[in-house]
Amino acid sequence: MRRRAALLSFLLPLPAWAGDCPLDLGQGTTGLVVFSSHYMITFRPDPLQIEVGAPFALVMNVCTRRGEAAELVRVEATMPEHKHGMNYSPTVVPVGNGRFRVEGMVFHMPGSWELGFDVRSGEEIERLTHDIVLK
Amino acid sequence: MRRAALLAALLVAAAPVAGQAPLDWTPDEIRAVASHGPWPPPVAVDRSNRVSGNPAAILLGQHLFEEPRLSASRQVACGDCHQAGRDWRDGRARGFGLVELDRRTPSLWNVGWQHWFGWDGASDSLWMQSIRPILDPREMGGSTRGVAKLLREDRQLACGYERAFGTAPGADDERLLVDAGKALAAFQQTLVTPRTSFDDFRDALVAGDTIAASRYPIQAQRGLKLFIGANCASCHFGSLFTNGEFGDTGVPFFARDGEVDSGRLGGIARLRASPFNRLGQHSDDATDASATRTRHVERQHRNFGEFRVPGLRQVGRTGPYMHDGSLATLDDVAQHYSEVSPDRLHSDGVPLVRALGLSGEERVDLVSFLRSLDSDTPKLLPPAPLCP
Ligand code: HEC
Ligand code: HEC
Repeated sequence: MRRRAALLSFLLPLPAWAGDCPLDLGQGTTGLVVFSSHYMITFRPDPLQIEVGAPFALVMNVCTRRGEAAELVRVEATMPEHKHGMNYSPTVVPVGNGRFRVEGMVFHMPGSWELGFDVRSGEEIERLTHDIVLK
Repeated sequence: MRRAALLAALLVAAAPVAGQAPLDWTPDEIRAVASHGPWPPPVAVDRSNRVSGNPAAILLGQHLFEEPRLSASRQVACGDCHQAGRDWRDGRARGFGLVELDRRTPSLWNVGWQHWFGWDGASDSLWMQSIRPILDPREMGGSTRGVAKLLREDRQLACGYERAFGTAPGADDERLLVDAGKALAAFQQTLVTPRTSFDDFRDALVAGDTIAASRYPIQAQRGLKLFIGANCASCHFGSLFTNGEFGDTGVPFFARDGEVDSGRLGGIARLRASPFNRLGQHSDDATDASATRTRHVERQHRNFGEFRVPGLRQVGRTGPYMHDGSLATLDDVAQHYSEVSPDRLHSDGVPLVRALGLSGEERVDLVSFLRSLDSDTPKLLPPAPLCP
């Protein structure tokens, strides 16, 4: 269980954000940012260092670009190279104001993982993705 | 002349494998080698087992491990299949208790660091896995009542129980069965293999100590390079050489004529149906954090015919190989990975296991590396009496 995702190097200070949907992850001011033309997501793994085979959670904020809280419908992770996903299905727990905690993630192999976030703030679901290389 | 001879002798002493330098290792390769250590890892603690690490429970567990009265016939003990002097296995292709089983008896070395147990991972804790063979009619055929009665009525065992758990054996039979499993688990958590020549090489390579690194045979170094290059560590990951999960390596999954062993698929079903999993009342983890895997594990089609990735420490001494013992030697395993059929391994993406087409020499190298994960293990002394 030695290999770790090189996450720290990607951690960005989060923009100060006024509005109903604070992108502060509720703790500290660092996280990863993923965005599209409609949405802005920040997240941080808990524990911060993802290890092969070890369960982790994601602490997340999901907002629209206008600063309103949006809904996180589902989180998935796959290894695009091998075309398989995780052996576990995570659950999304909303904790208010666009904040979520995703429990039950396990990356069981080293290599490239693609995180998929299904989010919505109306009818349509949009998928945002983020790549993590676990060494 | 004499001085020259002395000098030569000294040089040989300093570099025992005279004339043999380690192979060149790239930074990526060194990182890959480093990921298989350090050894040993921190002591395994199971929060769902309140006597994990407790010396009195370890002692009780060692006694119970050799206790045939846990079985219906009063003749089969854990230690008959997991034999202390034979690396905690029986050397047979398939286990044999009251009848022949469909799977091989795995070695129990380093089992305390696993999180799924059995070839299908039907148990999510070492104590749950330790209950299973007691009740399985093919293995020991025992009963909850029988185990509880034994713990209550045998003076030595009752006394050992009280020292381990702090109270005399109570009236709740199921609780006593589970506690027997927990003592057995505490004992099995102490089964740790010593350091190996691979570990010395790994540490030397990480430290940049070429002299120490050069003591590791060239053949094993070449085999290790093959192991890294073939991405064996996608599954045989980390210091245990297993990611603790499940995979399909193209081993046939017929248990016997016309019957298939569905592997992980059936394992998840059995896990969920059991009252002894970590989500049940018998877990001692009040925070429930250690039940995350059990709560979230997902049953998927591809689990059919998947088996748990075995750790590779002590592998040279724990054959035959695979869940059904179908490969007799490590060379057979190397040949299997060399020739495995792509049709059998239906994979849409880049396959994790593919025919490597190894030459005879490469197979020897690979096996030489695998054997460098073996170590001479100290002989386990018979346990002290429970209550002298
Ligand atoms: C009849 C032979 C036999 C007996 C007796 C037996 N086992 Fe086993 N053991 C096996 C076999 C076969 C497996 C593989 C089971 C499977 O995958 O379905 C196994 C698996 C295990 C495992 C899982 C190891 C791993 O790496 O996942 C543990 C732990 C274990 N046994 C402990 C015990 C204990 C404790 C006892 C006594 C209570 C016991 N066994 C009695 C044959 C036996
Ligand atoms: C897809 C994951 C995966 C990959 C990649 C993989 N293995 Fe395995 N390995 C397994 C599984 C699963 C088993 C057990 C299969 C079974 O029981 O049917 C196994 C069994 C073995 C065994 C037998 C151990 C035992 O105790 O029975 C050896 C040795 C081994 N693998 C070595 C290798 C080598 C060398 C490579 C690289 C060429 C490799 N493996 C690649 C998953 C994998």
